[in-house]
Amino acid sequence: MHATIQKPLDEILAVLAPGEKVMVVGCGNCAAKAKSGGEPETQAMVERLRARGISVTGWAVPPNGGSLCKLSAVEKLLNEDHGTETEAADSFLVLACGQGVHTVIDARGAQMVHPGCDTIFGGETLNDDLITEYCSLCGECVLESTGGLCPVTLCAKSLLNGPCGGATEGKCEVDPGRDCGWHLIFERMTQLGKADLLLEYQPPKNWLRAGSPRSLVLENKRADFSFADSTVSAWSGSDEPGEGNGEGEIK
Amino acid sequence: MKLSTQFDKRGFVVTGEVGPGKGADASDALRGAALMAQSVDAVNVTDNQSAVMRLGSLAVSHLIKQQGIESVFQLTCRDRNRIALQSDLLSAAALGIENVLCITGDHTVLGDHPEAKKVFDLDSVQLLAAAKGLSEGRDLAGHEIEPVPDLCLGAVVNPGSDDLELQLIKMEKKVDAGAEFFQTQAVFDPRQFESFMEKARRLRVPVMVGIVPLKSAGMADYMNNNIAGVRVPDKLIDRLKGTEKGDRKKVSIEIAADLARAVKGMCEGVHLMPLGWDDVVPQIVEAADLGASR
Repeated sequence: MHATIQKPLDEILAVLAPGEKVMVVGCGNCAAKAKSGGEPETQAMVERLRARGISVTGWAVPPNGGSLCKLSAVEKLLNEDHGTETEAADSFLVLACGQGVHTVIDARGAQMVHPGCDTIFGGETLNDDLITEYCSLCGECVLESTGGLCPVTLCAKSLLNGPCGGATEGKCEVDPGRDCGWHLIFERMTQLGKADLLLEYQPPKNWLRAGSPRSLVLENKRADFSFADSTVSAWSGSDEPGEGNGEGEIK
Repeated sequence: MKLSTQFDKRGFVVTGEVGPGKGADASDALRGAALMAQSVDAVNVTDNQSAVMRLGSLAVSHLIKQQGIESVFQLTCRDRNRIALQSDLLSAAALGIENVLCITGDHTVLGDHPEAKKVFDLDSVQLLAAAKGLSEGRDLAGHEIEPVPDLCLGAVVNPGSDDLELQLIKMEKKVDAGAEFFQTQAVFDPRQFESFMEKARRLRVPVMVGIVPLKSAGMADYMNNNIAGVRVPDKLIDRLKGTEKGDRKKVSIEIAADLARAVKGMCEGVHLMPLGWDDVVPQIVEAADLGASR
Protein backbone atom coordinates (compact mmCIF):
# COMPACT_ATOMS: atom_id res chain seq x y z
CA MET A 1 0.00 0.00 0.00
CA HIS A 2 0.98 3.63 -0.39
CA ALA A 3 1.33 5.32 2.98
CA THR A 4 0.23 8.94 3.13
CA ILE A 5 0.07 11.61 5.80
CA GLN A 6 -2.13 14.70 5.74
CA LYS A 7 -0.48 18.03 5.09
CA PRO A 8 -0.94 20.62 7.86
CA LEU A 9 -4.31 22.37 7.55
CA ASP A 10 -2.66 25.79 7.31
CA GLU A 11 -0.74 24.59 4.27
CA ILE A 12 -3.98 23.41 2.64
CA LEU A 13 -5.82 26.65 3.48
CA ALA A 14 -2.97 28.72 2.06
CA VAL A 15 -3.43 27.30 -1.44
CA LEU A 16 -7.19 27.85 -1.62
CA ALA A 17 -8.15 31.12 -3.34
CA PRO A 18 -10.83 33.33 -1.80
CA GLY A 19 -14.24 32.03 -2.85
CA GLU A 20 -12.81 28.83 -4.34
CA LYS A 21 -15.37 26.03 -4.23
CA VAL A 22 -13.73 22.77 -3.22
CA MET A 23 -14.74 19.15 -3.33
CA VAL A 24 -12.91 16.80 -0.96
CA VAL A 25 -12.01 13.37 -2.35
CA GLY A 26 -10.59 10.52 -0.28
CA CYS A 27 -9.54 6.91 -0.87
CA GLY A 28 -11.22 3.82 0.54
CA ASN A 29 -8.09 1.71 0.45
CA CYS A 30 -4.58 2.93 1.33
CA ALA A 31 -5.45 6.41 2.59
CA ALA A 32 -8.21 4.83 4.69
CA LYS A 33 -5.65 2.44 6.22
CA ALA A 34 -3.27 5.34 6.79
CA LYS A 35 -6.14 7.32 8.36
CA SER A 36 -5.34 10.23 6.10
CA GLY A 37 -8.19 10.01 3.60
CA GLY A 38 -10.78 7.38 4.51
CA GLU A 39 -14.43 8.35 5.03
CA PRO A 40 -14.00 9.64 8.61
CA GLU A 41 -10.99 11.79 7.71
CA THR A 42 -12.62 13.07 4.52
CA GLN A 43 -15.80 14.07 6.36
CA ALA A 44 -13.72 15.65 9.12
CA MET A 45 -11.79 17.66 6.50
CA VAL A 46 -15.08 18.97 5.08
CA GLU A 47 -16.10 20.17 8.55
CA ARG A 48 -12.70 21.68 9.28
CA LEU A 49 -12.71 23.58 5.99
CA ARG A 50 -16.31 24.81 6.44
CA ALA A 51 -15.48 25.94 9.98
CA ARG A 52 -12.88 28.23 8.40
CA GLY A 53 -15.30 29.64 5.85
CA ILE A 54 -14.23 27.51 2.88
CA SER A 55 -17.00 26.67 0.45
CA VAL A 56 -17.15 22.87 0.13
CA THR A 57 -19.44 21.43 -2.55
CA GLY A 58 -19.30 17.90 -1.14
CA TRP A 59 -17.10 14.89 -0.62
CA ALA A 60 -16.57 11.44 -2.09
CA VAL A 61 -14.64 8.30 -1.20
CA PRO A 62 -14.67 5.14 -3.35
CA PRO A 63 -17.04 2.73 -1.54
CA ASN A 64 -16.31 -0.77 -0.19
CA GLY A 65 -12.60 -0.17 0.36
CA GLY A 66 -12.13 0.95 -3.24
CA SER A 67 -8.92 2.67 -4.32
CA LEU A 68 -8.80 6.20 -5.65
CA CYS A 69 -6.08 5.12 -8.07
CA LYS A 70 -8.44 3.03 -10.20
CA LEU A 71 -9.61 5.25 -13.04
CA SER A 72 -12.85 3.49 -14.02
CA ALA A 73 -14.08 3.56 -10.41
CA VAL A 74 -13.16 7.22 -9.97
CA GLU A 75 -14.89 8.23 -13.21
CA LYS A 76 -18.05 6.60 -11.93
CA LEU A 77 -17.58 8.08 -8.45
CA LEU A 78 -17.04 11.66 -9.57
CA ASN A 79 -18.94 11.86 -12.86
CA GLU A 80 -22.00 9.76 -11.95
CA ASP A 81 -22.42 9.08 -8.22
CA HIS A 82 -21.34 12.59 -7.17
CA GLY A 83 -21.88 14.42 -10.47
CA THR A 84 -23.65 17.43 -8.93
CA GLU A 85 -20.99 18.18 -6.29
CA THR A 86 -18.26 17.53 -8.85
CA GLU A 87 -19.71 19.95 -11.40
CA ALA A 88 -20.18 22.65 -8.78
CA ALA A 89 -16.55 22.49 -7.67
CA ASP A 90 -13.68 24.70 -8.86
CA SER A 91 -11.16 22.25 -7.50
CA PHE A 92 -10.56 18.97 -5.67
CA LEU A 93 -8.73 18.53 -2.42
CA VAL A 94 -7.42 14.98 -2.69
CA LEU A 95 -6.78 13.06 0.52
CA ALA A 96 -4.84 10.21 -1.06
CA CYS A 97 -1.47 9.43 -2.58
CA GLY A 98 -0.04 11.09 -5.69
CA GLN A 99 -1.47 8.30 -7.84
CA GLY A 100 -4.91 9.19 -6.53
CA VAL A 101 -4.34 12.87 -7.34
CA HIS A 102 -3.50 11.93 -10.91
CA THR A 103 -6.49 9.61 -11.20
CA VAL A 104 -8.71 12.59 -10.33
CA ILE A 105 -6.99 14.59 -13.08
CA ASP A 106 -7.65 11.76 -15.55
CA ALA A 107 -11.28 11.53 -14.46
CA ARG A 108 -11.95 15.29 -14.48
CA GLY A 109 -9.54 17.00 -16.85
CA ALA A 110 -9.40 20.78 -16.56
CA GLN A 111 -10.23 21.21 -12.90
CA MET A 112 -7.58 22.14 -10.34
CA VAL A 113 -6.37 19.50 -7.91
CA HIS A 114 -4.77 20.19 -4.51
CA PRO A 115 -2.78 17.44 -2.80
CA GLY A 116 -4.05 17.16 0.76
CA CYS A 117 -1.47 14.55 1.70
CA ASP A 118 2.20 13.82 1.34
CA THR A 119 2.85 10.40 -0.17
CA ILE A 120 5.53 8.97 2.07
CA PHE A 121 6.28 5.32 1.20
CA GLY A 122 4.97 1.95 0.14
CA GLY A 123 4.48 -0.28 3.14
CA GLU A 124 3.11 -3.30 4.91
CA THR A 125 0.09 -2.77 7.18
CA LEU A 126 1.26 -4.66 10.24
CA ASN A 127 -1.85 -3.75 12.19
CA ASP A 128 -4.44 -0.95 12.33
CA ASP A 129 -1.90 1.41 13.87
CA LEU A 130 1.35 0.51 12.16
CA ILE A 131 2.53 0.70 8.57
CA THR A 132 6.19 -0.04 7.86
CA GLU A 133 8.30 0.25 4.73
CA TYR A 134 9.90 -2.98 3.53
CA CYS A 135 10.14 -2.23 -0.21
CA SER A 136 11.38 0.85 -2.07
CA LEU A 137 9.71 -0.03 -5.41
CA CYS A 138 13.17 0.12 -7.03
CA GLY A 139 12.21 -2.06 -10.00
CA GLU A 140 14.83 -4.79 -9.53
CA CYS A 141 14.30 -7.18 -6.65
CA VAL A 142 17.43 -8.34 -4.79
CA LEU A 143 15.57 -10.22 -2.06
CA GLU A 144 16.79 -13.66 -3.15
CA SER A 145 20.27 -12.96 -1.80
CA THR A 146 19.09 -11.62 1.56
CA GLY A 147 16.42 -14.03 2.71
CA GLY A 148 13.64 -11.69 1.64
CA LEU A 149 14.74 -8.64 3.65
CA CYS A 150 15.47 -5.68 1.40
CA PRO A 151 18.86 -4.00 1.92
CA VAL A 152 17.87 -1.16 -0.40
CA THR A 153 15.07 -0.31 2.02
CA LEU A 154 16.21 -1.55 5.43
CA CYS A 155 19.81 -0.26 5.22
CA ALA A 156 19.95 3.53 5.55
CA LYS A 157 22.68 3.55 2.89
CA SER A 158 21.02 0.89 0.70
CA LEU A 159 24.25 -1.14 0.75
CA LEU A 160 24.08 -4.42 -1.15
CA ASN A 161 27.25 -6.19 0.04
CA GLY A 162 27.01 -5.95 3.79
CA PRO A 163 26.89 -3.35 6.55
CA CYS A 164 28.92 -0.21 6.98
CA GLY A 165 30.89 0.02 10.20
CA GLY A 166 28.36 2.31 11.81
CA ALA A 167 25.99 -0.04 13.62
CA THR A 168 26.01 -0.37 17.41
CA GLU A 169 24.33 -3.32 19.11
CA GLY A 170 22.35 -3.99 15.96
CA LYS A 171 21.13 -0.40 15.67
CA CYS A 172 21.72 2.01 12.80
CA GLU A 173 24.15 4.96 13.00
CA VAL A 174 21.42 7.21 11.62
CA ASP A 175 18.98 6.51 14.43
CA PRO A 176 19.67 4.29 17.46
CA GLY A 177 15.94 3.51 17.51
CA ARG A 178 16.18 1.83 14.14
CA ASP A 179 17.48 -1.67 13.46
CA CYS A 180 20.56 -2.04 11.25
CA GLY A 181 19.13 -3.66 8.12
CA TRP A 182 22.22 -5.81 7.69
CA HIS A 183 22.01 -6.99 11.27
CA LEU A 184 18.46 -8.18 10.51
CA ILE A 185 19.58 -9.81 7.26
CA PHE A 186 22.46 -11.59 8.97
CA GLU A 187 20.21 -12.85 11.78
CA ARG A 188 17.67 -14.13 9.27
CA MET A 189 20.24 -15.79 7.00
CA THR A 190 21.86 -17.40 10.05
CA GLN A 191 18.45 -18.64 11.18
CA LEU A 192 17.88 -20.05 7.69
CA GLY A 193 21.33 -21.67 7.72
CA LYS A 194 22.36 -19.61 4.70
CA ALA A 195 24.74 -17.02 6.16
CA ASP A 196 27.49 -18.26 3.82
CA LEU A 197 25.47 -16.94 0.85
CA LEU A 198 26.23 -13.42 2.09
CA LEU A 199 29.77 -13.89 0.79
CA GLU A 200 28.47 -13.73 -2.75
CA TYR A 201 29.32 -10.46 -4.50
CA GLN A 202 26.27 -8.38 -5.38
CA PRO A 203 26.89 -6.20 -8.45
CA PRO A 204 25.77 -2.57 -8.72
CA LYS A 205 22.03 -2.18 -9.12
CA ASN A 206 20.38 -1.30 -12.39
CA TRP A 207 18.84 2.01 -11.34
CA LEU A 208 17.43 2.41 -14.83
CA ARG A 209 14.56 0.25 -13.65
CA ALA A 210 13.80 2.76 -10.90
CA GLY A 211 13.62 5.60 -13.41
CA SER A 212 10.30 7.40 -13.33
CA PRO A 213 7.87 7.58 -14.98
CA ARG A 214 7.35 3.85 -15.41
CA SER A 215 4.43 1.92 -16.85
CA LEU A 216 3.08 -1.60 -17.03
CA VAL A 217 1.01 -2.68 -20.04
CA LEU A 218 -0.97 -5.88 -19.56
CA GLU A 219 -2.19 -7.91 -22.47
CA ASN A 220 -3.46 -11.48 -22.05
CA LYS A 221 -0.64 -13.28 -20.28
CA ARG A 222 1.99 -10.73 -21.19
CA ALA A 223 3.18 -7.78 -19.13
CA ASP A 224 5.35 -5.02 -20.58
CA PHE A 225 7.27 -2.97 -18.02
CA SER A 226 8.60 0.27 -19.49
CA PHE A 227 11.24 2.46 -17.89
CA ALA A 228 13.55 5.07 -19.36
CA ASP A 229 14.11 3.91 -22.96
CA SER A 230 13.58 0.20 -22.33
CA THR A 231 10.75 -2.29 -22.07
CA VAL A 232 10.96 -5.65 -20.33
CA SER A 233 8.27 -8.24 -20.88
CA ALA A 234 7.11 -11.10 -18.71
CA TRP A 235 4.76 -13.92 -19.64
CA SER A 236 2.85 -15.23 -16.68
CA GLY A 237 0.99 -18.49 -17.02
CA SER A 238 2.79 -19.55 -20.17
CA ASP A 239 6.32 -20.29 -21.34
CA GLU A 240 6.35 -17.79 -24.21
CA PRO A 241 8.34 -16.41 -25.90
CA GLY A 242 10.13 -19.74 -25.84
CA GLU A 243 13.46 -18.72 -24.32
CA GLY A 244 12.58 -20.54 -21.17
CA ASN A 245 12.60 -17.89 -18.48
CA GLY A 246 9.55 -16.00 -19.63
CA GLU A 247 11.28 -12.62 -19.63
CA GLY A 248 12.87 -10.79 -22.49
CA GLU A 249 14.20 -7.36 -23.27
CA ILE A 250 12.75 -5.36 -26.12
CA LYS A 251 14.71 -2.31 -27.11
CA MET B 1 54.87 5.20 -4.02
CA LYS B 2 52.01 2.76 -3.73
CA LEU B 3 51.40 1.45 -0.24
CA SER B 4 51.33 -2.07 -1.66
CA THR B 5 54.97 -1.56 -2.76
CA GLN B 6 55.83 -0.22 0.71
CA PHE B 7 54.30 -3.30 2.36
CA ASP B 8 56.38 -5.49 0.04
CA LYS B 9 59.57 -3.53 0.63
CA ARG B 10 59.42 -2.86 4.34
CA GLY B 11 56.73 -5.14 5.70
CA PHE B 12 55.48 -2.38 8.00
CA VAL B 13 53.82 0.88 6.97
CA VAL B 14 52.85 3.95 8.98
CA THR B 15 50.34 6.51 7.77
CA GLY B 16 48.83 9.67 9.16
CA GLU B 17 45.69 11.54 8.32
CA VAL B 18 44.64 15.13 7.71
CA GLY B 19 41.14 16.53 7.34
CA PRO B 20 40.64 19.42 4.90
CA GLY B 21 38.95 22.47 6.37
CA LYS B 22 35.82 24.36 5.49
CA GLY B 23 37.25 26.90 3.14
CA ALA B 24 38.93 27.43 -0.21
CA ASP B 25 42.44 26.98 1.10
CA ALA B 26 44.45 23.84 1.82
CA SER B 27 47.19 25.43 3.91
CA ASP B 28 46.12 23.88 7.24
CA ALA B 29 45.98 20.40 5.75
CA LEU B 30 49.29 20.94 3.99
CA ARG B 31 50.89 22.17 7.22
CA GLY B 32 49.56 19.07 8.98
CA ALA B 33 50.90 16.80 6.27
CA ALA B 34 54.30 18.50 6.40
CA LEU B 35 54.45 18.08 10.20
CA MET B 36 54.07 14.32 9.93
CA ALA B 37 55.81 13.79 6.59
CA GLN B 38 59.15 12.64 7.99
CA SER B 39 57.51 10.08 10.26
CA VAL B 40 55.00 8.42 7.99
CA ASP B 41 54.94 6.66 4.64
CA ALA B 42 51.80 8.45 3.46
CA VAL B 43 49.12 10.86 4.58
CA ASN B 44 45.42 10.06 4.22
CA VAL B 45 43.11 12.88 3.18
CA THR B 46 39.56 12.49 4.48
CA ASP B 47 36.60 12.96 2.13
CA ASN B 48 34.04 15.36 3.60
CA GLN B 49 34.56 13.56 6.89
CA SER B 50 31.52 13.10 9.14
CA ALA B 51 29.44 14.11 6.10
CA VAL B 52 30.40 17.75 6.73
CA MET B 53 30.98 19.71 3.51
CA ARG B 54 34.62 20.77 3.19
CA LEU B 55 37.46 21.28 0.78
CA GLY B 56 37.73 18.17 -1.38
CA SER B 57 39.96 15.19 -0.73
CA LEU B 58 41.05 14.85 -4.36
CA ALA B 59 42.39 18.41 -4.50
CA VAL B 60 44.18 18.14 -1.16
CA SER B 61 45.60 14.68 -1.97
CA HIS B 62 47.04 16.21 -5.12
CA LEU B 63 48.46 19.26 -3.35
CA ILE B 64 50.09 17.06 -0.71
CA LYS B 65 51.61 14.90 -3.41
CA GLN B 66 52.96 18.06 -5.06
CA GLN B 67 54.83 18.76 -1.82
CA GLY B 68 56.61 15.45 -2.30
CA ILE B 69 54.55 13.69 0.37
CA GLU B 70 52.80 10.44 -0.50
CA SER B 71 49.02 10.70 -0.14
CA VAL B 72 46.08 8.34 0.28
CA PHE B 73 42.99 9.74 -1.41
CA GLN B 74 39.87 8.81 0.56
CA LEU B 75 36.90 8.32 -1.74
CA THR B 76 33.40 7.79 -0.33
CA CYS B 77 30.28 6.48 -2.03
CA ARG B 78 28.04 8.95 -0.25
CA ASP B 79 28.25 11.90 -2.62
CA ARG B 80 29.02 10.45 -6.04
CA ASN B 81 27.27 8.09 -8.42
CA ARG B 82 29.22 5.49 -10.41
CA ILE B 83 30.04 8.01 -13.13
CA ALA B 84 31.59 10.47 -10.69
CA LEU B 85 33.37 7.75 -8.68
CA GLN B 86 35.05 6.25 -11.73
CA SER B 87 35.82 9.70 -13.09
CA ASP B 88 37.46 10.70 -9.79
CA LEU B 89 39.54 7.50 -9.86
CA LEU B 90 40.79 8.45 -13.32
CA SER B 91 41.36 12.03 -12.15
CA ALA B 92 43.35 10.80 -9.16
CA ALA B 93 45.58 8.69 -11.38
CA ALA B 94 45.99 11.55 -13.86
CA LEU B 95 47.12 13.79 -11.00
CA GLY B 96 49.75 11.24 -9.98
CA ILE B 97 47.93 9.98 -6.88
CA GLU B 98 48.78 6.32 -6.27
CA ASN B 99 46.69 5.27 -3.28
CA VAL B 100 42.92 5.35 -2.88
CA LEU B 101 40.94 4.34 0.17
CA CYS B 102 37.51 3.14 -1.01
CA ILE B 103 34.89 3.68 1.68
CA THR B 104 31.13 3.94 2.11
CA GLY B 105 31.16 7.27 3.96
CA ASP B 106 29.17 8.49 6.94
CA HIS B 107 25.46 8.99 6.32
CA THR B 108 24.37 12.47 5.19
CA VAL B 109 22.02 12.66 8.19
CA LEU B 110 25.05 12.82 10.52
CA GLY B 111 26.61 15.80 8.76
CA ASP B 112 25.93 19.48 8.23
CA HIS B 113 23.71 19.08 5.14
CA PRO B 114 21.30 16.42 6.44
CA GLU B 115 18.70 17.22 3.80
CA ALA B 116 21.09 16.42 0.93
CA LYS B 117 20.20 13.54 -1.36
CA LYS B 118 22.38 10.61 -0.33
CA VAL B 119 23.88 8.78 -3.27
CA PHE B 120 25.38 5.36 -2.35
CA ASP B 121 24.93 4.29 -5.98
CA LEU B 122 27.79 1.85 -5.34
CA ASP B 123 28.79 0.38 -2.00
CA SER B 124 32.43 0.11 -0.94
CA VAL B 125 32.79 -3.44 -2.30
CA GLN B 126 31.38 -2.41 -5.66
CA LEU B 127 33.62 0.68 -5.67
CA LEU B 128 36.68 -1.53 -5.15
CA ALA B 129 35.51 -3.80 -7.97
CA ALA B 130 34.94 -0.78 -10.22
CA ALA B 131 38.42 0.57 -9.43
CA LYS B 132 39.99 -2.80 -10.11
CA GLY B 133 38.03 -2.99 -13.36
CA LEU B 134 39.42 0.38 -14.45
CA SER B 135 42.95 -0.83 -13.73
CA GLU B 136 42.22 -3.82 -15.95
CA GLY B 137 41.00 -1.60 -18.75
CA ARG B 138 37.21 -1.68 -18.39
CA ASP B 139 34.75 0.67 -16.76
CA LEU B 140 31.54 -0.56 -15.11
CA ALA B 141 29.69 -0.32 -18.41
CA GLY B 142 32.30 -2.54 -20.05
CA HIS B 143 33.84 0.27 -22.08
CA GLU B 144 37.56 0.38 -22.71
CA ILE B 145 39.85 2.57 -20.61
CA GLU B 146 43.12 3.76 -22.11
CA PRO B 147 45.51 4.34 -20.48
CA VAL B 148 44.49 2.48 -17.34
CA PRO B 149 44.93 4.01 -13.86
CA ASP B 150 47.59 2.40 -11.67
CA LEU B 151 46.22 2.72 -8.15
CA CYS B 152 46.76 0.85 -4.91
CA LEU B 153 43.32 0.19 -3.42
CA GLY B 154 42.65 0.33 0.29
CA ALA B 155 39.59 -0.42 2.37
CA VAL B 156 38.42 -0.17 5.97
CA VAL B 157 37.14 -2.58 8.59
CA ASN B 158 35.79 -2.14 12.10
CA PRO B 159 37.41 -4.69 14.45
CA GLY B 160 35.23 -3.57 17.36
CA SER B 161 31.95 -4.17 15.59
CA ASP B 162 29.29 -6.09 17.53
CA ASP B 163 28.60 -7.97 14.30
CA LEU B 164 32.21 -9.01 13.81
CA GLU B 165 31.34 -12.09 11.76
CA LEU B 166 29.44 -9.89 9.33
CA GLN B 167 32.35 -7.40 9.23
CA LEU B 168 34.66 -10.27 8.32
CA ILE B 169 32.32 -11.43 5.56
CA LYS B 170 32.40 -7.93 4.10
CA MET B 171 36.17 -7.72 4.59
CA GLU B 172 36.58 -10.93 2.59
CA LYS B 173 34.36 -9.51 -0.16
CA LYS B 174 36.54 -6.40 -0.22
CA VAL B 175 39.68 -8.51 -0.60
CA ASP B 176 38.05 -10.47 -3.42
CA ALA B 177 36.97 -7.19 -5.05
CA GLY B 178 40.51 -5.82 -5.06
CA ALA B 179 41.44 -4.34 -1.66
CA GLU B 180 45.21 -4.47 -1.21
CA PHE B 181 45.35 -3.18 2.36
CA PHE B 182 43.03 -2.33 5.24
CA GLN B 183 42.90 0.49 7.74
CA THR B 184 40.85 -0.16 10.85
CA GLN B 185 38.50 1.94 12.90
CA ALA B 186 40.16 3.30 16.03
CA VAL B 187 41.39 0.51 18.31
CA PHE B 188 41.89 0.99 22.06
CA ASP B 189 41.85 -2.59 23.29
CA PRO B 190 44.87 -4.68 22.15
CA ARG B 191 43.21 -7.95 23.16
CA GLN B 192 40.11 -7.21 21.12
CA PHE B 193 42.33 -6.33 18.16
CA GLU B 194 44.33 -9.51 18.62
CA SER B 195 41.22 -11.68 18.46
CA PHE B 196 40.10 -9.77 15.36
CA MET B 197 43.47 -10.34 13.70
CA GLU B 198 43.32 -14.05 14.51
CA LYS B 199 40.20 -14.20 12.36
CA ALA B 200 41.33 -11.71 9.70
CA ARG B 201 44.81 -13.13 9.13
CA ARG B 202 43.57 -15.93 6.88
CA LEU B 203 42.61 -13.25 4.32
CA ARG B 204 46.33 -12.59 3.81
CA VAL B 205 46.00 -8.86 3.33
CA PRO B 206 48.02 -6.17 5.15
CA VAL B 207 46.08 -4.59 8.03
CA MET B 208 46.99 -1.20 9.48
CA VAL B 209 45.66 -0.70 12.97
CA GLY B 210 43.81 2.60 13.44
CA ILE B 211 44.98 4.68 16.37
CA VAL B 212 43.37 7.92 17.50
CA PRO B 213 45.34 9.95 20.05
CA LEU B 214 42.90 10.84 22.84
CA LYS B 215 42.81 14.59 23.44
CA SER B 216 40.70 14.55 26.60
CA ALA B 217 38.40 12.48 28.77
CA GLY B 218 35.47 14.29 27.14
CA MET B 219 36.59 13.18 23.72
CA ALA B 220 36.90 9.58 24.95
CA ASP B 221 33.39 9.73 26.39
CA TYR B 222 32.12 11.17 23.13
CA MET B 223 33.71 8.39 21.13
CA ASN B 224 32.29 5.74 23.46
CA ASN B 225 28.82 7.17 23.06
CA ASN B 226 28.88 8.02 19.37
CA ILE B 227 31.36 5.93 17.41
CA ALA B 228 30.26 2.41 16.61
CA GLY B 229 32.62 -0.33 17.73
CA VAL B 230 34.87 2.05 19.65
CA ARG B 231 35.31 1.43 23.37
CA VAL B 232 37.87 3.51 25.22
CA PRO B 233 38.68 1.61 28.44
CA ASP B 234 37.82 3.34 31.72
CA LYS B 235 41.42 3.27 32.91
CA LEU B 236 42.47 5.45 29.96
CA ILE B 237 39.60 7.86 30.64
CA ASP B 238 40.58 8.03 34.31
CA ARG B 239 44.18 8.73 33.34
CA LEU B 240 43.06 11.59 31.09
CA LYS B 241 40.78 12.95 33.81
CA GLY B 242 43.71 13.13 36.19
CA THR B 243 45.86 15.00 33.68
CA GLU B 244 46.36 18.75 33.86
CA LYS B 245 45.52 20.62 30.71
CA GLY B 246 49.13 21.50 29.99
CA ASP B 247 50.17 17.83 30.07
CA ARG B 248 47.39 16.50 27.88
CA LYS B 249 49.42 16.18 24.71
CA LYS B 250 52.20 14.40 26.53
CA VAL B 251 49.78 11.90 28.05
CA SER B 252 47.94 11.53 24.74
CA ILE B 253 51.21 10.63 23.05
CA GLU B 254 52.07 8.15 25.80
CA ILE B 255 48.69 6.42 25.57
CA ALA B 256 48.82 6.21 21.75
CA ALA B 257 52.42 5.00 21.79
CA ASP B 258 51.67 2.34 24.43
CA LEU B 259 48.83 1.12 22.27
CA ALA B 260 50.92 1.15 19.09
CA ARG B 261 53.67 -0.80 20.80
CA ALA B 262 51.17 -3.36 22.06
CA VAL B 263 49.60 -4.02 18.67
CA LYS B 264 52.31 -3.38 16.10
CA GLY B 265 53.49 -6.96 16.18
CA MET B 266 50.02 -8.22 15.35
CA CYS B 267 49.61 -6.42 12.02
CA GLU B 268 51.39 -4.82 9.08
CA GLY B 269 51.07 -1.15 9.89
CA VAL B 270 49.69 1.70 11.94
CA HIS B 271 47.32 4.37 10.74
CA LEU B 272 47.35 7.42 13.01
CA MET B 273 44.30 9.66 13.02
CA PRO B 274 45.30 12.73 15.05
CA LEU B 275 42.07 14.69 14.34
CA GLY B 276 43.88 18.01 14.11
CA TRP B 277 46.72 17.27 16.57
CA ASP B 278 49.02 16.66 13.62
CA ASP B 279 52.17 17.51 15.59
CA VAL B 280 51.75 14.49 17.89
CA VAL B 281 52.21 12.04 15.01
CA PRO B 282 56.03 12.17 14.86
CA GLN B 283 56.23 11.90 18.64
CA ILE B 284 53.97 8.83 18.72
CA VAL B 285 55.97 7.23 15.91
CA GLU B 286 59.18 7.87 17.82
CA ALA B 287 57.86 6.85 21.24
CA ALA B 288 56.42 3.60 19.87
CA ASP B 289 59.55 2.97 17.85
CA LEU B 290 57.46 2.59 14.71
CA GLY B 291 60.23 4.06 12.58
CA ALA B 292 62.45 1.10 13.35
CA SER B 293 59.64 -1.23 12.37
CA ARG B 294 59.49 0.43 8.99
